[in-house]
Amino acid sequence: MSVNAVVSSDNNTVLLKVSGRFDFSIHNEFRNSYKDVGLKNVEYVIDMINTEYLDSSALGMMLLLKEYAEESGSNVVISNANQEILEILKIASFDKIFTIN
Amino acid sequence: MEDNTLVLIVEDDVTNRLILRSIVKDVGYQFIEAENGQQAIELCLKHNVDIVLMDVMMPVMNGYQSAREIKSKSKPFIPIIFLTALADQDSLAKCIEAGGDDFLTKPYNHVLLRSKIESMLRIRMLYQQVEEQNKALNIHNARIEHEVEVAKNIFSNVLKHDFNGSDTGFRCLMSPVSIFNGDMIIAERNQTDGFDVLIGDFTGHGLSAAIGSLPVADIFYTMTHKGYSFVETIIEINNKLIKLLPTQMFMSSAFVSVDRLNSVVTIVNCGLPDLYLIGKDGIKQSFSSKVVPLGIMSLTHDNIKVDIEVIEFGDRIISATDGLIETTNKDGEMFGKNRMINVIETANNNDNIFDDLLAACNEFSSDEYPADDLTLFEIKHLENIVHKDKVVIVDGVNESEWALSYELDMESIRNFDVLPYMVQGITGLHTIPNGHSTVFTILSEMYSNALDHGILMLDSSIKNTPGGYIDYYQMKSERLAQQEEGSIKISLNHELKPDGGGRLTIRVDDSGEGYNYEDYNLDNMGGNKNTFGRGLALVNSLCESVKIMGKGNSIEAVYDWG
Repeated sequence: MSVNAVVSSDNNTVLLKVSGRFDFSIHNEFRNSYKDVGLKNVEYVIDMINTEYLDSSALGMMLLLKEYAEESGSNVVISNANQEILEILKIASFDKIFTIN
Repeated sequence: MEDNTLVLIVEDDVTNRLILRSIVKDVGYQFIEAENGQQAIELCLKHNVDIVLMDVMMPVMNGYQSAREIKSKSKPFIPIIFLTALADQDSLAKCIEAGGDDFLTKPYNHVLLRSKIESMLRIRMLYQQVEEQNKALNIHNARIEHEVEVAKNIFSNVLKHDFNGSDTGFRCLMSPVSIFNGDMIIAERNQTDGFDVLIGDFTGHGLSAAIGSLPVADIFYTMTHKGYSFVETIIEINNKLIKLLPTQMFMSSAFVSVDRLNSVVTIVNCGLPDLYLIGKDGIKQSFSSKVVPLGIMSLTHDNIKVDIEVIEFGDRIISATDGLIETTNKDGEMFGKNRMINVIETANNNDNIFDDLLAACNEFSSDEYPADDLTLFEIKHLENIVHKDKVVIVDGVNESEWALSYELDMESIRNFDVLPYMVQGITGLHTIPNGHSTVFTILSEMYSNALDHGILMLDSSIKNTPGGYIDYYQMKSERLAQQEEGSIKISLNHELKPDGGGRLTIRVDDSGEGYNYEDYNLDNMGGNKNTFGRGLALVNSLCESVKIMGKGNSIEAVYDWG
């Protein structure tokens, strides 16, 4: 599994850990990971500590998550991105759309 | 049970044939018979045989040979069950090797033979299904291939680059893969005889990614051609893409405009890798992305960050989509920004940078991942450029005298932001070099003056108190919502001057009470220490003349250009 969803014990945070390459190949897995959780008013944290690479379809997938989150009163945070990934997020100006920790 | 299944019995011995026939008949299958391998082949080609029961030792042609030929000649899968008296391993292996699918040793066990035939027929059915699906898939594939061809054709028509060439300074390369991955470069001559260029990169790959480039190209060409400013074109494209694209799709893009009259380059980078301005001593300036890619969220003039740089003749701008820096070598390492910068800085002649970059990329890439997703663009600021076609700046009225008049009632004033629309109308009708933003400012000041003071009767001095600005705009929106009566009329008149250039006369009338303007000094801007009251003074400083008329509800400004 390259996407791992963990719900915090207080049901307030959903940690989505993406391992390896974050690209179109994990499209379904990524979408299912948060749809299966089915919680409202939570914070989705995309944990990129084990993410090696990110492409533009991953950016698109993150936009889908954001749209999904906003519909259920939730928000999305990106955390633990490495320097290269931060660079890509910055090029795409995603720092203006997402909170990046 | 009646069954159309056709069994071919191949057996030289009459008795054995009889036994087989009775078994097959019992189950309810149809059958035909051959006495040797050669006959079997002929029958297989002639009839629609479902399964073959094949003896091994026969005159004319033995079972092995026959099986081999049946398997190679018949297109659909025909299972062959060998019937053999030879029970040694070698002989059985030979049966399978010859293309047999199963075997049964003599003497026949009725039950076993029946179940073997049935299981083989099931396998044959599976084969047939796969084959039908394959056929459907092939048809589908062929159709897609055809559509891809058509699409490629359309895209290359849209993305034609008439400007490519050393005499224009414009150069670009798009590999077929990159076009089909949703990259685009389009360019149009702007009003300063320079170029407006859009470099775009849609998320995703293939046709679905490329499809967005059609409406983008359409808007870009139309708006640039009519003289709309960059930012307005970007806003329009962004709105269109938000409406058109699914959430996960967007267009990273950069807009480059070279103003040849003033030697200035304007760049807006929305999600592309850095663009570089290169002078004779190397990189002068890089332009990183400051705007969210298009098609994600709504953008206004406020959040479109524009970079403006003065350029010299010989300077060039280089831009590439991420395909270049993401070219990967055999170790999975990417070409990267630093290698790109290095190639630029070490080029022995700036005219070679473009080719050097391509060469470096190709050399870096591996056979496994060739550098085939390249979109690279360069524009050099040349002192003299030779256009291939004659300059036609605006379609329709080119050199013209015209007049326009708009009358807005309260409903339109409330719901319709008329100014950008009007300015676009003016630039669409006639080119006013460099006057675009000035005309906007003049109109906007005159319009707010008419609305705020003429109709809504707001007092500017409110703005002079702490928090006054906020109070003022609060009050403005309240009054605007409540105001029932009122109208504003804007009249524009454009005349050409005999010695070139033109004169634009703007008149704004409002339905308000007017005011006593005798003691109002339009030249007062410099000495005005207040945070208000600059509007008309600003108009006055931008125009040849400003006249307040009537009871103070009518203002006429004259703007000369050229």
